[in-house]
Amino acid sequence: MKTVAISLLGTVLDQRGRGKKRWDKWRPTISLCQQEDLLIDRMELVFQPHFQRLADLVTEDIQRVSPETEVRHHHVEFEDPWDFEEVYGSLHDFSRQYGFDRDKEEYLIHITTGTHVAQICLYLLTEANYLPGRLVQTSPANRDNVDAGSYQIIDLDLSKYDQIASRFSREHSEGTIYLKGGIETKNKEFNRVIAQLEKISINSEDPILLTGPTGAGKSQLAKRIYQLKQTRAQVKGRLVEVNCATLRGDNAMSALFGHKKGAFTGAATQRAGLLLEAHDGILFLDEIGELGIDEQAMLLRAIEDKNFMPFGSDTPVSSNFQLIAGTNRDLFDDSRSGKFREDLLARINLWTYRLPSLKERIEDLEVNLDYELERFAQKAGSLVSFNKAARSRYMKFAHSSEATWRANFRDLNASITRLATLSDGGRITQAAVDDEIMRLKHDWSAKSQEMNPKAITAKFLDDETHTKLDLFDHIQLTGIAKVCKSAKSMAEAGRILFDQSREQKKSVNDSHRLKQLLAKYGLDFSIFK
Amino acid sequence: MLVVDGSQGEGGGQILRTSLTMAMVTGTEIRIENIRAGRVKPGLMRQHLACVKAAQAVSNAKVSGAEVGSTEIVFKPKAIKAGEYHFAVGTAGSTTLIFQTVLPALALAEAESRLSFEGGTHNFFAPSFDFIALVYAPLLRQMGVEIELKMTRHGFYPQGGGQWQAVIKPAGRLSGLDLLDAGVLIGKEAVVTSANIPGHVAVRELAEIAKQCKWPEEVLKSERVESMGSGNIVSMRLHHECCSEVVEYVGKVGVSAEKVARRAIQAIRRYQAAAVPVGEHLADQLMLPMAIGGGGVFRTLKPSLHSQTNRDVIHLFTDKRFEFEGLAKDLWEIRI
Repeated sequence: MKTVAISLLGTVLDQRGRGKKRWDKWRPTISLCQQEDLLIDRMELVFQPHFQRLADLVTEDIQRVSPETEVRHHHVEFEDPWDFEEVYGSLHDFSRQYGFDRDKEEYLIHITTGTHVAQICLYLLTEANYLPGRLVQTSPANRDNVDAGSYQIIDLDLSKYDQIASRFSREHSEGTIYLKGGIETKNKEFNRVIAQLEKISINSEDPILLTGPTGAGKSQLAKRIYQLKQTRAQVKGRLVEVNCATLRGDNAMSALFGHKKGAFTGAATQRAGLLLEAHDGILFLDEIGELGIDEQAMLLRAIEDKNFMPFGSDTPVSSNFQLIAGTNRDLFDDSRSGKFREDLLARINLWTYRLPSLKERIEDLEVNLDYELERFAQKAGSLVSFNKAARSRYMKFAHSSEATWRANFRDLNASITRLATLSDGGRITQAAVDDEIMRLKHDWSAKSQEMNPKAITAKFLDDETHTKLDLFDHIQLTGIAKVCKSAKSMAEAGRILFDQSREQKKSVNDSHRLKQLLAKYGLDFSIFK
Repeated sequence: MLVVDGSQGEGGGQILRTSLTMAMVTGTEIRIENIRAGRVKPGLMRQHLACVKAAQAVSNAKVSGAEVGSTEIVFKPKAIKAGEYHFAVGTAGSTTLIFQTVLPALALAEAESRLSFEGGTHNFFAPSFDFIALVYAPLLRQMGVEIELKMTRHGFYPQGGGQWQAVIKPAGRLSGLDLLDAGVLIGKEAVVTSANIPGHVAVRELAEIAKQCKWPEEVLKSERVESMGSGNIVSMRLHHECCSEVVEYVGKVGVSAEKVARRAIQAIRRYQAAAVPVGEHLADQLMLPMAIGGGGVFRTLKPSLHSQTNRDVIHLFTDKRFEFEGLAKDLWEIRI
């Protein structure tokens, strides 16, 4: 690779007379050729024809201080070196006729000489890639001595500068992301769901049911619906969110519907309950399938009649809320097996939308990645971005079959949070991405191991038995093992496992039956303890 | 392929030059890694690149990695080729170091070589042309090589542009060197060489020498020379029966003339006090021709880190190894 410098002849700075004294003065074009760690193989000296004498002297001097450098002359025609149009035009012409060979040569555009107008033109031409190189600036030595001075190379590829890159992404987010009010998703199915949801949330106050795998973004969507209604002034109240899996026993009732003071032990004060808190607003019940049967009945009444009884109270309370329910279970299955009330399901299964998994809308991963970065930036107060190579490596993995995205957007969020937190000066590097990919792979394989019956039975079966058994046996044994582990005794485990057939038997010996069953696989109950 | 670690010992350009010379003379293919790892700007600077290119020309070598800033090169020499060469280096890079890199190879070539140089001749951290002419070349002549030198223009830092020529008539084989004693002092002089600077500088430098060393008027000389840029160097020279020693200090803007002179005086006093024939820098430079020639022994000052590194690098190419023996604090014997 040859290094070629393109420099305007400095009609002031390179002009230091013809006497010996000129050697004691800093002359930028010559000093560029005097750097011990920069070898200019060729110097393209650009000047107006009437400066030929100066150009010849500078050429001669360059060849003395730097015999390795070849100097070539180029004439440019501009009458007034302060006339922007004229200077830009002639430098543009120069760049078009030059014939750059970027495979064999790299170019440095020297911007220390020439008028400020010429410097601006060189900058513009370099930035626009007409001059395909990097800018170089020379400066005199610090003290008034005979040193050759120094130089700095400036690469206009802004992506190489962390600070500037961060600045860009901030402006970007302020513009497009805010105006579009969210993430610009590409997946057709998802976009169709959203489009319809927007209409419905404006026109209807009926319940909405959101289904889809965990982490698909159900609660995010509930929030968006609420915000949308808010901007249209359709809700006055709050958005109240609760995950039904966290509601258990007496607490569930009182949390949802409130209680009167003294309704039960520990009910020292009155409690309003979530339904009342959501008055004139939205109640988002996530994992509604986890709600107990009694609560389901109360909820149905609250939806239909707009009123309900707080726990331990005789007087009904009224609350006008819109219900959004979320679930990752099949509620129809649940209603068939009696775990979910059919009438409640019928009531909430009016506007049902299934949110695709991340894997099903993988084309939206990239925009969501930017969204996550932006979110992190807002939280952390500092901007984070990938460097180009790191980003493409991450995207490649994200699209690969290895990436299962088991917990969907929750996994993506966690992954980006980790990368952003560990980033160095706001830049996510290739090394960090490699570590993160390892981590994700490990997490996903660990989780699949947890769910894999063969992996579970491998813990207690001997190798020979393990390989002989059908998947059917492994699945069955996994369930048996789970019951055995949680039961206090072999008899209790037997009672649970044979809960139906034991009713028909005249004499029951549950522990004996279990013992025999386990013995078939060469197992003993004690290994589960 | 022999791998040389450029970061060992003093970790500078000398490892590169010694390796190039040894590779050419022994016909060894080498890879030098971590070139000048110990320096602020690591890798090949232009003057080092010039040495690589000179060695390449002389030995018709296949070279990769020969670029400014490169920290690793592969150098595969072929037969040494006597002839006419022109070596030019910018940034006032030292031409004498190029000369010393190729000299041992050309000294063993089949025919005479004519070299011309362009670049720095009186630099910091490198022997000056005068040192080569008065100290180094006479000892190489003793070892059997005929060397003629001619100076046409001085080249000072940072403009360089000096010019000089050398003719090398090879020896076939370099004979041994035995330099335990310098012999009787037959002359001394202090020479200030200046170009394009005010005349009072040389006057003050010589006055300082006269005052500190009590050297008589007739041995104090001031020479004004032709050069592109400005330059100033104080050179104190002791000529003995068997060898000469020259110590030098380059003047620069911001350092007073008296101080420049005192630096040279300090060095000459150390040499005189030790009463050895070979000074600190010459010791480094003699090791290479001795190793490839008939060996020998000399007495010198306490070996510098440069000398120790040089010993280790030379030993990579040959079974022979220099012995350093300390006879007193500043009296050592180096033999191979």
